[in-house]
Amino acid sequence: MIEVTELRKTYKEVTALNGLTFNANDGEITGLLGPNGAGKTTCLRSLYGLIKPDSGRVQVDGLSPVTEPIEVRRSIGIFPDKFGLHERLTAREHIRYIAELHGFRGEAMLEQVDRVIAELKMTDIADRRTQGFSQGQRMKVALAQAIVHQPKNLILDEPSRGLDVMSTRILRELMFGLREQGRCILFSSHVMQEVAALCDRVVIMVQGQVVANDSPAALCAMTGKASFEDAFVQLIGTDEGIMA
Amino acid sequence: MSRTLLTIWLKELKDAIRDRRSLMAAMSYAFFGPMLMAVAFFAVVKEATSESDLKVQLEGQEYAPELVEFLQHKGILAATEEDLDTGIKLIIPADYQERLAAAKAVSITVRADYSERKNSSNRQRVERALTEYNQVVASARLMMRGISPEVMYAVVAERQDTATKESRAALIMGTVMVFVLMSVFFAGMNVAIDTSAGERERNSLEFLLAQPVRLIDLVTGKALAASTFAMLGGALTLIMIPAVFLFVPLEKLGIDISFGFGKQVMLALVLIPLAILASALQLFVSFMAKSFKEAQTYITFVMFAPMTIVFVLEFTRFSHAALDYLPVTSQHQVLLGSINGEPVSVLAMAIGALGTLAVAALILLAVQWKLRSEKAVFGL
Repeated sequence: MIEVTELRKTYKEVTALNGLTFNANDGEITGLLGPNGAGKTTCLRSLYGLIKPDSGRVQVDGLSPVTEPIEVRRSIGIFPDKFGLHERLTAREHIRYIAELHGFRGEAMLEQVDRVIAELKMTDIADRRTQGFSQGQRMKVALAQAIVHQPKNLILDEPSRGLDVMSTRILRELMFGLREQGRCILFSSHVMQEVAALCDRVVIMVQGQVVANDSPAALCAMTGKASFEDAFVQLIGTDEGIMA
Repeated sequence: MSRTLLTIWLKELKDAIRDRRSLMAAMSYAFFGPMLMAVAFFAVVKEATSESDLKVQLEGQEYAPELVEFLQHKGILAATEEDLDTGIKLIIPADYQERLAAAKAVSITVRADYSERKNSSNRQRVERALTEYNQVVASARLMMRGISPEVMYAVVAERQDTATKESRAALIMGTVMVFVLMSVFFAGMNVAIDTSAGERERNSLEFLLAQPVRLIDLVTGKALAASTFAMLGGALTLIMIPAVFLFVPLEKLGIDISFGFGKQVMLALVLIPLAILASALQLFVSFMAKSFKEAQTYITFVMFAPMTIVFVLEFTRFSHAALDYLPVTSQHQVLLGSINGEPVSVLAMAIGALGTLAVAALILLAVQWKLRSEKAVFGL
């Protein structure tokens, strides 16, 4: 459960977040949709406490990332904006490292790592060094690192960029699976098809503010448009920076 | 020590060890440093030992056997046929004995190229020997005439050379020890950059910072990984030193160095706090950089500071009680003390070590404080 209330953040002349308010519920996939520069990444970074908002409140399962960053980070899995891998370590070593940072040791740790490797169907690449991995393979490693500790909340920043069809399917199945388990999934995107296909709830963000917050179907009904795309364009007032 | 810290330390070490190139770079310094030193010593030793034998060409030595004998006592020998041209020629005139008996001045020619600088000390030596011989003969003449030779000496300069074999050894070993200190700064450098600026460059910093890890654990783990490498370099240099001396005829200089295993272990222990300080400093600098290359540039500047301190101390022989306790200089004093027979007290060593660790801890605190700033992390 992620609650964002009246979040504001200003860099010198740019207002990244301007009173952002929304909730992402457990057992739901929430999509944060907005054009480039809408403040999506800033919002997500403030959820795990790497960016301190000027005002407003973030609560993850009732805890604030500003005052209790460590506890908050224990309960979330992160698929960041940029995920770099250590070329000299194998995929398995990457996953183990994160599992250990989350406090798993010995048998329990190995179990978690094996489970996630099987779940993401990456047994074939698990013991290869990540140097020379394809974008899809790199994404799998990053995803495995995000969910190895079975977080209650999963935050993904533009997870589908640069993925092939197979990887996209794996990602989608993974998100559906986690939703079944009652976890809270929040992801950002500027790709409408993806959001429309995946999300239970869409939060549309423009210039650091929420302009709409409902299910894709409800948004279409609200604007009176047949397709989600038209609804979206009408809501943000432009089609700039959006991919169909 | 928290388990998280250990996890980070081990992971960074694993990553660094697999990086063959930076491993080689780190260790080649430790390896080639002492080698370079050996070459330099060869030159020093050769220069210093040539003092004892000076060969000059002697013409007419049969006219003045006493003088030749006197010169021999002073280490100035007649060159034989097979000796090369020594550049100095002494010509004793045929009427030497005659003029000597008549108490007339004998002129002995010292022929040499006086513009040649390299030979100037040798020329002075020959001339000094002749002056001394002159005084011996003149004194004898005065005594024969019932006058004390002392009337000849109104004021006498008495030279006391304080240079001993030990101090000469200290001079050379001091240079060796500077190498040891520097190896600690060089060997961990690559790892320090890779775990900080490198992490940023490969875009893995944000993800790492978003993990449930205390920043101080993260920073300390990385610093320890780098300082493990620094220590490895330091230890390798220490191990190499006795090997180098096997090839250098230090005994000709009268230098007696006992550099046993026990001493090596002791010195390695003394270097540990310094290795941590060096790595902390390098982390601090390279976390500010946006890329690996940028970090390398900054670090080069930062390395000047401790190196300058050590070199200045080494060459000016400045000494002050406080040096025994301050970071970098404390370790330098211990290293020097281990060879010049003036060991630093255990208390000073302990205070120096704790002081160094304290400074390192402060720097690490500063690093983690910087990492709290979004500006530093995202470069916004």
